[in-house]
Amino acid sequence: MTKTIIDQAGTGVETRPAIRTRESLLSTYRTELAIAGAIGLLVLAVGTQVPQALSWGNFANITQAGAPLIIMSLGVLLVVITGGIDLSVGSVFSLTGMVTAQAMAAGFGGVSAALVGLGVGLVFGSINGFLVTIAGLAPFVVTLITFAVAGSLAFIVTNGRSMPIGDPDFWLLNSGSMIPGMPNYILFCIVLLVAIELFLKKMVAGRWFYAVGSSAAAAHLLGIPVKRTQFFAYVASSLLASFSGLLTISYILNAESTAGSSLMLQAIAAVVIGGASLLGGTGTAVGAVLGALMITVIQNGVNLIGINSFWQGSVTGLAILIAVLIDRFSKSRRGAV
Amino acid sequence: MTEKHNIVSVRSLTKAYGATSVLKGIDFSVARGEIHALLGGNGAGKSTLIRIITGTATKDGGELDFRDASGNLLSETDGRHKVAVVHQELALLPHLTVAENIALPHFRKGSRLYDRRLATRQAHDALSMIDRDFAAVALNRLIGDLSLHEGQMVEIARALSSGAELILLDEPTANLTAIETERLFDVLRRLTRDNGLSVVFVSHRMKEIRQIANVCSIIRDGRTVVKSVPTADLTDFAIIEHMGQAHALAAPRVTKVAAQQAMAGEPLTIAEDGFTVVLQPGTILGIAGAPAGPQTLIAALVGAAHAKRWTVTRSGWPGRFRSPREAARAGAGFVTGDRAHRGILHSLPIIDNVVASRRVTRGSFFANKHEGVECFDLMQALKVKAGSLWHLPNTLSGGTQQKLLLARWLNLPSRLLVLEEPTRGVDIGTKREIYQLIRDMAATGTAIVWWSTENAELLEVCDRVLAFDTEGRSSGVIERDQLSEDRLAALTGMAA
Amino acid sequence: MKTKLNGWLAMAASVALAALSSVAHAQEKKTVAYLAPSLDISYWQWVGFGVKQKAQELGMDYVEFTSENSPAKQMDNARTAVTKGVDAIVIGPVSSTSTPPLLAYLKSQNIPIAFAGIGPQPGQTDYTSSVTANNYETGKAQGSFVCALAKERGGNKVGMLSLPQDRENAQKYLKGAQEAFAADGCKLAQMLETRGLTVNEAVTQANDMLTAHPDIKAIYGMYDEAGTGAAKVLETRGLTGKIGIAVADGSPTTIGLLKAKAIQGIFFQEAVGQGIDGTQQVFNALTKAPVKKDLALVMPLVTADKIDSPEAKAVIARVFPPSK
Repeated sequence: MTKTIIDQAGTGVETRPAIRTRESLLSTYRTELAIAGAIGLLVLAVGTQVPQALSWGNFANITQAGAPLIIMSLGVLLVVITGGIDLSVGSVFSLTGMVTAQAMAAGFGGVSAALVGLGVGLVFGSINGFLVTIAGLAPFVVTLITFAVAGSLAFIVTNGRSMPIGDPDFWLLNSGSMIPGMPNYILFCIVLLVAIELFLKKMVAGRWFYAVGSSAAAAHLLGIPVKRTQFFAYVASSLLASFSGLLTISYILNAESTAGSSLMLQAIAAVVIGGASLLGGTGTAVGAVLGALMITVIQNGVNLIGINSFWQGSVTGLAILIAVLIDRFSKSRRGAV
Repeated sequence: MTEKHNIVSVRSLTKAYGATSVLKGIDFSVARGEIHALLGGNGAGKSTLIRIITGTATKDGGELDFRDASGNLLSETDGRHKVAVVHQELALLPHLTVAENIALPHFRKGSRLYDRRLATRQAHDALSMIDRDFAAVALNRLIGDLSLHEGQMVEIARALSSGAELILLDEPTANLTAIETERLFDVLRRLTRDNGLSVVFVSHRMKEIRQIANVCSIIRDGRTVVKSVPTADLTDFAIIEHMGQAHALAAPRVTKVAAQQAMAGEPLTIAEDGFTVVLQPGTILGIAGAPAGPQTLIAALVGAAHAKRWTVTRSGWPGRFRSPREAARAGAGFVTGDRAHRGILHSLPIIDNVVASRRVTRGSFFANKHEGVECFDLMQALKVKAGSLWHLPNTLSGGTQQKLLLARWLNLPSRLLVLEEPTRGVDIGTKREIYQLIRDMAATGTAIVWWSTENAELLEVCDRVLAFDTEGRSSGVIERDQLSEDRLAALTGMAA
Repeated sequence: MKTKLNGWLAMAASVALAALSSVAHAQEKKTVAYLAPSLDISYWQWVGFGVKQKAQELGMDYVEFTSENSPAKQMDNARTAVTKGVDAIVIGPVSSTSTPPLLAYLKSQNIPIAFAGIGPQPGQTDYTSSVTANNYETGKAQGSFVCALAKERGGNKVGMLSLPQDRENAQKYLKGAQEAFAADGCKLAQMLETRGLTVNEAVTQANDMLTAHPDIKAIYGMYDEAGTGAAKVLETRGLTGKIGIAVADGSPTTIGLLKAKAIQGIFFQEAVGQGIDGTQQVFNALTKAPVKKDLALVMPLVTADKIDSPEAKAVIARVFPPSK
């Protein structure tokens, strides 16, 4: 056996690079920037086929069509960050619309009917939260149950019939302008985006969402209120789904039992496109909103170009794949696989 | 011995993660039939080297050869089939039985049907090589029901059973008791002697290295500093010097606080029907023994689940904490021994990992700027190398991650700090740093409870030791003037 | 604890059994079963209303099953119905192609069956009656009407909000409409197919369609929600009346829009009527009266100016149940 000793010099002195104590926004939002870029490219690509895609009117179309999904995605994001999943949002969305419309038909005013509608979100969010935290059931199972129940109640409320909205001023919720020049649906999206992003980044309770999703066991041992955080996530998710349902009926002035059935998968897709992991512990509100916008832009592009709408699912799937790859790539570059 | 008998050899191996260069030119080889200690401080590049050999990481540059017994070059894929690794953190499937976990590699080619009897027999053969008694009872138990050390035995058995010609053991003894360690060493010696098996052994325990390894290599900062030298030719001091940790030995041994000189302040009382231990502020109580007993006590101290037996008394404390949250807010901190699953929050940046405990105990509302400064100071105090507080913890070495867990409770006015194996998987230099840190924390009046399976550690740092027997019952308290390996062995029922 | 739970389960089971047997006991009267493909869509509820109404009139009992869009469930339902002893079946099948095994089975059990809404697979003969809308002729009529709307508004471009084109009725509508467009000199600028059949989706599609093709002067809506969505978009854009809309099916919502002149015409699919006619035919078969094997109803058009006429009211009575 050859005996070799290399490099005898042991200095014992280590040079330490200075530690960054400020968060670098560029590296924090690297994935989000990439997705925003991808959305821009997509819009431009559609624009080469259909010039009107780049018009102001089409921008209004996209934001109006995307607003409910954006708001619902923000809610789903909160649950996904904690490591859970909420399959009930689409059903809660539909049921909220039906209950609100029915309340108006029963003589409630627009505001009180809307509050009754939000009650749907509160009730189903609490049921989800209770079954996940106190009863300790798996989130997938719990929200599969409430998905089914809320979905069937949406039919039961009016016996399956769609309901026109009674209050003639109800359109103001969606299309009015509390800030002149900006329709409310855009205002709501921006306010909720900023509020939720700041909550997640700057408030301790928001940081707990990530801690719980990263490892509930570690968070529990640290003294983090795991169950309270999870419960709040499910309530927030349902309430936002409910609110999103209100916005939609305020827009089309008509409530349908099946209105939200396609939204649940889109909202989960939006959150994933936005860089959140379904395993929990990651994700940003900015990402979720961009994810929802991306899905809306794809649908808009498919319609504008006149591609058979059955391709929408495949295109969306491809977008999810690309977004997840972008996310993985940008993370591995940071050495944080 | 000539080069062609090496089962694996690497030359000038390099690897970088992003801008950080981890391996800067490693030379390393393992001959057939040897037990080869791979040594180096935390962050030296040991884990990365092992990952490249097993194929879970790709090399940036350099050569990597696998050869068969007659010296013929093998493809990397064929070569890797002859290598098995036992991970530092368990890599078993918790919902499957012991037998299924051990037999799994045999069914790697999915076309073969799962043959329950064959699997059981193979598992039994492999496990009996380590422990006949355990093999007789354990085969049909679920991995999830095993203790950490039993899980590790299963993992070693799986590596043995997979027919590998080279086994990489990454700190395999960290969870094993002295008897189990001795048994493992016997098995390794037998297998290398009779079957020509090669073993690469990573450990920070000098005593074990001397016991088991006939050859050692030392790497430091991504470079090989000692290549395949007989262990007997190097003194302990030479090894530590090569690892670049001579300064750790130069540091004075920590001084213990005599019980009589204990800090002013109210003591804690730990009691289990009829058995009472008074814990003075500023003292370190060691816990020795097989996991069952210490784990029950620790669960009670920190408010974790199912802690009916013990009460913890102090004015203002409820006797039993209902949750870790209640414990933390009352001033009882906890550093878990299961760093990977119950310690580090892997998807959160370093800063959140460190300040989480402060946010809990202070009940803070906002995550503010001061936390950055606070975290920065803690990182300085702990000599943690990190590019940014916003990097994820898995960019740090295992030993540094352990420091993060300790940093959570550093400089907090805690009444009690409970530590589970706080030096598991850390190198000698870091170990010394941790000893000193905890002493410093005790000096501020915090009472420390320290569970360790390494008797040398208990002897060095603890003022008193509470021992548990193998049945999990408390068997007595050894005062500091009577602390010795023999006394510990007698009370814990385990060989020294 | 466990025994207590078992006790409850046993109790629940016996209650369910009692309920089932009480249904089975009412055997003196003839029973007609209505097999709906799904009850999510109000159309199939309305057919059921027609069946139930006619059954009461004829002194029959009524039971209802839903196949949840699954041919297998549909077959199971038929077997369950026969086992329970129903005398006749009115079915809205999951699809035409799902019907042959069903018909073979019912023939072996000697149970008369009438189709409502969707007919049997072409070539099948073992059924009592098939009451359907004549989608091809309706498509032609609606195509002409929509083309006329466009021309009145000074253009010849039309847009279409279609049902999914894998549906046979959608294909027939389209074929008829295309022939009418060609004959009358109109151009189909764009067709978008729905997936979710919701107003919200139709709004998005109509918006996108008008963005891509601002020169569209009339919109052909193949289902109610399409008309509602298109009307909503025109209202937002201030184009109500400037772009024409005709819709097929008809519902309280679209009738409201017709009255408000937000849409110009509805081709009514007589859902209730199909249920009524189908039930009459199976009843005839049971009482050995003559049956009409194929009833292809051309969908009657009601325009905005005629909506309050007695003829229109008679049509609407055969479309959906009166609101409570």
